[in-house]
Amino acid sequence: MALNVQTEKSSPAALVDTTPMVEFAGVSKTLAGRRILDRLTFNVKKGETFVIIGYSGTGKSVTLRNLIGLMRPDEGSIRVAGEEITTMSNKELEVMRRKFGVLFQSGALIAWLDLFQNVELPLLEHTKMSRRKRTEIVQQKLELVNLWQDKDKFPAEISGGMKKRAGLARAIALDPELVLYDEPSSGLDPVIAYEIDKLINRLRDQLKMTQIVVTHDMESAYTIASRIGMFYQGGMLQIGTPDEIRASDIAEVQHFITGGREGAVSRRSTTAIMKGRSPTFSARLEAGMDEAEAETTGEATPAIMELEPEPSPPEPENKP
Amino acid sequence: MKDFIGLRAIRGAGYTLLLLLEALGYINHAWKRRRALFTQMHVIGTQSLAITCFFMLLVGMVFALQTGIEFARFGQTSLVGLVIVSAMVRELGPWMTAFVLIARVGSSMAAEIGTMKTSEEIDALEVMSINPVSFVVMPRLLGYAIMGPILTIFGTLVGVAGGALVSKVQLGVPLDDFLRMAERGAEPLDIYWGLLKSLVFSLCAGAVACANGMRTTGGAVGVGRASRNTVVVALTLTVFLNYLLTSFYRMVKRLVAGIL
Repeated sequence: MALNVQTEKSSPAALVDTTPMVEFAGVSKTLAGRRILDRLTFNVKKGETFVIIGYSGTGKSVTLRNLIGLMRPDEGSIRVAGEEITTMSNKELEVMRRKFGVLFQSGALIAWLDLFQNVELPLLEHTKMSRRKRTEIVQQKLELVNLWQDKDKFPAEISGGMKKRAGLARAIALDPELVLYDEPSSGLDPVIAYEIDKLINRLRDQLKMTQIVVTHDMESAYTIASRIGMFYQGGMLQIGTPDEIRASDIAEVQHFITGGREGAVSRRSTTAIMKGRSPTFSARLEAGMDEAEAETTGEATPAIMELEPEPSPPEPENKP
Repeated sequence: MKDFIGLRAIRGAGYTLLLLLEALGYINHAWKRRRALFTQMHVIGTQSLAITCFFMLLVGMVFALQTGIEFARFGQTSLVGLVIVSAMVRELGPWMTAFVLIARVGSSMAAEIGTMKTSEEIDALEVMSINPVSFVVMPRLLGYAIMGPILTIFGTLVGVAGGALVSKVQLGVPLDDFLRMAERGAEPLDIYWGLLKSLVFSLCAGAVACANGMRTTGGAVGVGRASRNTVVVALTLTVFLNYLLTSFYRMVKRLVAGIL
């Protein structure tokens, strides 16, 4: 199924404008003594969907937060549509952010407003539209995400997938030029996750929105990406089209996109990726579960065993 | 250095004060946010009315009983009305109401804002260029500041009524005597002063609650911590301010009396 979509979407790539919408140049950020972003550099072109993949807890969300201006980087420059945002005052940022739509991991709907009011909120705050015009736009956005019939429900009454779709409707209420997604498919079943992916593709094809998606769901990444960037140890390890990523000969990239079944990165170094953190209980549990899984599938185990040298200390950073 | 507890407290106090000032600066948004404001006034005020009155009724009753027992030893039970009214209007009314509100409203306000913070709702507002201080904090703080003094009026009246009831039934003071003494218990200036105190307490407790909510980090544990800190800090702060304000009032009154 993913392959089908892949061929479908290769055509709009031709429409992609070459002016960068977002430029990260040498962005670094240290949090609680950990260097999360380390001279991070990448560009996102107008009209493309740029997918950032990478291990959990390594700073993909921090990248987004720096881009929105919720965090300021320690050094480096971030430009959106040519404008430097790292040095903007809060007032300037407020203006800048109207070009943004952001879908947060949990949807981040305002709990005391129903879905209609949630989507209406940006329109109420930033435009002088008449009530009829607002209703029209809210209806259009909610119908796009297939939630118009649930417009009177409150966030507490709906499922996680519905919250995300409603969050998306709110994010695009003002027709932003740039939409950011933080883990759009996490916590959703495959069918609803695919629905969201289709929505993301529609926004790109029909509304020509530039989109940045942070995810670790490879299925989804292949479905929606114009280009994929692999985030690793604070920087971009590889940036390329889905096909280039799939054919990547970088061990870490292979390790990630195959879910650890291939690539020379041992489980140990997966833990080492989260440098400065002692392996948490959940990380150990995860590692243990993977071994058990490998045993049952049988074939994956020898590959790892061959490629993996003796239990070695965490590997040195091998960044290109 | 950053773990030095005093520094953290100072930083927290500074943040609270700035938040209070910022929220007051957004008071011109009150009309735009009137729906949120009315909701908050309902939650803070109307819904707290019953518990405040019940609380104050019993405080008034116990207070009358205790003072009555002592006064009875000197055959002065009729003085109970005077003591009850002066204490209720100046001290017990404003502070006990603040106490009830901190426990009922302050803690939940901190938890609510804290949950918004941890579930990225505050971030979402900021990203939508909607100032969270104007959208979330201002209606709560203003609602608190309006309803605190109003509840104090109700609470004080009910407290005095409780005192009168006990005086009549248990101490045997006729209602006429109680009321005659009660009139001497408080001047208009005392009543205004009591309400001003209540306003100060409300702003303090509201600001502490909102600031703790806005500074919440770390999921459910963080929300619990914000709520607990709010109750502890707000209670300490109001009881301390109460002492300062009372001392100040007494000083001013003496000065004025000296000039006259």
